[in-house]
Amino acid sequence: MADTLKINGAEHTVEVDGAMPLLWYLRDILHYTGTKFGCGMGLCGACTIHLDGQPTRSCLIPVSAALGREVTTIEGLSPDGTHPLQLAWIEHRVPQCGYCQAGQIMSAAGLLAGNPSPSDAEIDAAMQGNLCRCGTYTRIKQAIRSVADDAEGAA
Amino acid sequence: MKPSTSRPGPVLLGRRDFLKTSGVAAGGLAIGVSLPLVAGARSDADASGANTEVNAFVHIAENGDTTLYCGRCEMGQGIATALTAAVADELEADWDRVTVLQGDADEKYGPQGTGGSRSINIMFTPMRQAGAAARAMLVAAAAERWGIPAADCVAENHRVTNRQNSRTLGYGELAAAAAGQAVPDDPALKTPDQFRYIGKPLPRVDMGEVVVGARTYGADTRLPGMKFGAVRHVPVMGGRIVSFDATEARQMPGVIDVVRIDPIDDRYSSLGAIGVVADSTWHARQALDKVQVDFEPGPHGDYDSAAYKAELARNVEAPAEPVHRRGNLAAAFESAATRHGATYLGGHLSHSPMEPMASAVWVREDGCEVWASTQDPAGIQRTLGTFLGIDPKAVTVHVMMAGGAFGRKFKCDYVHEAAALSRATGAPVNLTWSREEDTRTGFYHSLSAQRIEASLDEAGNVTGWLHRAAFPPIASTFNPSVERPSEGDLRALVDHPYGIVNLEVESGHAPAHTRIGWYRAVYAIFYGFAINVFTDELAEQAGEDPLEFHRRIYRNNTNSEQKELVERSLGVLELAAEKGGWGKDLPEGHGLGIAVHHSFESYTAMVVHVELDGDKVKVHRVDCAVDCGLVLNPDQATAQMEGAVIMGMSLALYTEVTFREGAVVNGNFHDYPILRTQEAPREIHVHFTNTGARPTGLGEPGVPSLAPALVNAIRAAGGPRHRSLPIKPMKV
Repeated sequence: MADTLKINGAEHTVEVDGAMPLLWYLRDILHYTGTKFGCGMGLCGACTIHLDGQPTRSCLIPVSAALGREVTTIEGLSPDGTHPLQLAWIEHRVPQCGYCQAGQIMSAAGLLAGNPSPSDAEIDAAMQGNLCRCGTYTRIKQAIRSVADDAEGAA
Repeated sequence: MKPSTSRPGPVLLGRRDFLKTSGVAAGGLAIGVSLPLVAGARSDADASGANTEVNAFVHIAENGDTTLYCGRCEMGQGIATALTAAVADELEADWDRVTVLQGDADEKYGPQGTGGSRSINIMFTPMRQAGAAARAMLVAAAAERWGIPAADCVAENHRVTNRQNSRTLGYGELAAAAAGQAVPDDPALKTPDQFRYIGKPLPRVDMGEVVVGARTYGADTRLPGMKFGAVRHVPVMGGRIVSFDATEARQMPGVIDVVRIDPIDDRYSSLGAIGVVADSTWHARQALDKVQVDFEPGPHGDYDSAAYKAELARNVEAPAEPVHRRGNLAAAFESAATRHGATYLGGHLSHSPMEPMASAVWVREDGCEVWASTQDPAGIQRTLGTFLGIDPKAVTVHVMMAGGAFGRKFKCDYVHEAAALSRATGAPVNLTWSREEDTRTGFYHSLSAQRIEASLDEAGNVTGWLHRAAFPPIASTFNPSVERPSEGDLRALVDHPYGIVNLEVESGHAPAHTRIGWYRAVYAIFYGFAINVFTDELAEQAGEDPLEFHRRIYRNNTNSEQKELVERSLGVLELAAEKGGWGKDLPEGHGLGIAVHHSFESYTAMVVHVELDGDKVKVHRVDCAVDCGLVLNPDQATAQMEGAVIMGMSLALYTEVTFREGAVVNGNFHDYPILRTQEAPREIHVHFTNTGARPTGLGEPGVPSLAPALVNAIRAAGGPRHRSLPIKPMKV
């Protein structure tokens, strides 16, 4: 079995206990601190990353389950911070404290990758696992909507 | 094609990053300003010395790059942008050439404890003065260079122009000479029509960093040789660790040490905890699970919050300690046309910021360095000074972005613990609490019981009001002998917004059985709830429209000292009603509710539109009207109100911390359920009265209006009258 995984395109050889959740491997071992700890139980979504393109709670996935696979964190969502959602987040001035926003953006990016023009109900369904205590939900949905509507216009 | 939003502009950098990438302190103009609240805050300009820490607020390098410092703590409220924009405005700086830095703990910044919605209140004018003083010094330097009167020089957008010949000099070219000018004592400030940034919706300086995961919070601090901690607290206030067995834990992978952390004689001390230091947070937590701890619960080991709330609810039916009496309440009640009484209840709340308590501390022989998500850097210096037995000034505190705080991060028990772990191991230690510890061992919003009784005359005017409030006060956390709300705690009731002539305010006995803390909007949450819901009930009894009723009782307030309060309350009330479509036709099962509250020197009113579907409460729309005086940044002010609506909905509908056998039962977001996106209102509209009054804060004042407006809307929609929050408590 492979003992490597790819993070944002770079190969890493895993030298920790495979039971360590991917979240702590990212944060404490590799210092990818953009991915946040919020609850440790998959309840808040702050730790959302993409595993082979699928939004995944990194606090629940052991490193061993990510071996041989591709992990994308907020740091690697786009090479230069210009993913349409990152731009929309700035344009709609979404973040307050910003702590949950990496997870919010990764969940939204996963949604739009599979469904470029989701309905409001589909946005709710995809985003209901991502908590925000500052209360930026309304702006998050406006930002997602703006990117989705652009996709619709382009289609 | 989307418009590009990436623009050169101010960025907020962590101090260490910044020092690595520029020579900020070498040369140029650096000035502070004297603050009315702090003696000696102005530091001397020193244009020649390298590596000098000379300046509180403004630094202009010789290439014109300008650095502005924010001394208040940033936790998402946008203060680092709002206050530095005020400096930049008076400075006539080009915002695109400005870098904003978060200041470390230092009294040169003035008071840094960030709470009570005071930043704008106390810092707006001093920050403007700092910018204006720097501008005056640049102008004086230009005048000297050209040998002309200062009156013939005008500063605009990072340049000074000679009116006699239209020649210009950039701020960078003038910086060194400006540093040699006298700092003006009373620099002229702009008039509002001259503002270029104040009042404009400037974007937050750190948005770009947030969306790429580069904004670093206390939990994100990483240092060479850093270790990671985990703690399990004594679960009951006043309890203690009798013994613990860490034999197995010490054998676990990555474990460096297991440390007993005892409370210290300090108001922000740890509750007492067992801590583990390891090579990763995960290893530390795994090992902590294996530590056997024998706790002694102490005097509060039988605390049961549901029973206590019920007890306070009974107690407030009977007379309590009078705090304020005026007029003749007995006579008013005697001659009433109508009497009404009701009791309002609320539970403990946990702040639960998305970033749990987190900091990194490095205790060294020569002092101590801290990187903390905090609202009170000076508090950390004091607490760690006590803990380590060193001069508080030897504690360097880097103020990190807080991933939410809401009052909780004013108390630095978690920093005390990180320091204990660092001292024991000699390594820098990052301690990030688990969500369970964050939920179970916090400083909680007080549970409360309030009894209101009132009399109305034939015309429906309020002639008498009795307000009896029982809740464990925050002061109990610092002094356990305080067992009831003080007159100061009850001030908002004594200064009753209706100008009640016959008024009695009573303080109920309510000793604390857990640590009580400030929670966003503090006591205003339950005062705003009780007063507004009771008023809605009075309107219902009088058969009068709630808006009409509110209008009448405010207009009937003839207390000359409350003229401004009445005008501004009515201002937001009318605006919320108009924008929220008060009186419009609604389908069956829909309702509008209204509430208005004054707290932290600002005024908010909300109209909430709900739809009831069985037990389900759907909030379609909220219209918020705000009077916070001059609005420094309309976009950020709007964001604060949107946040208040969401937090207000969480506490109105769901959140309550429950104690049994002394300890908190809730642990994580499954049993402390904060609002999720699918329940957020599709529309939140925020409207400003733009009265132009002195600017006041907005971090807290929105919260108290939401719950009563929501509860009143449920009633208007044909639902029950709720008097106890949360209205849909989680069974735990």
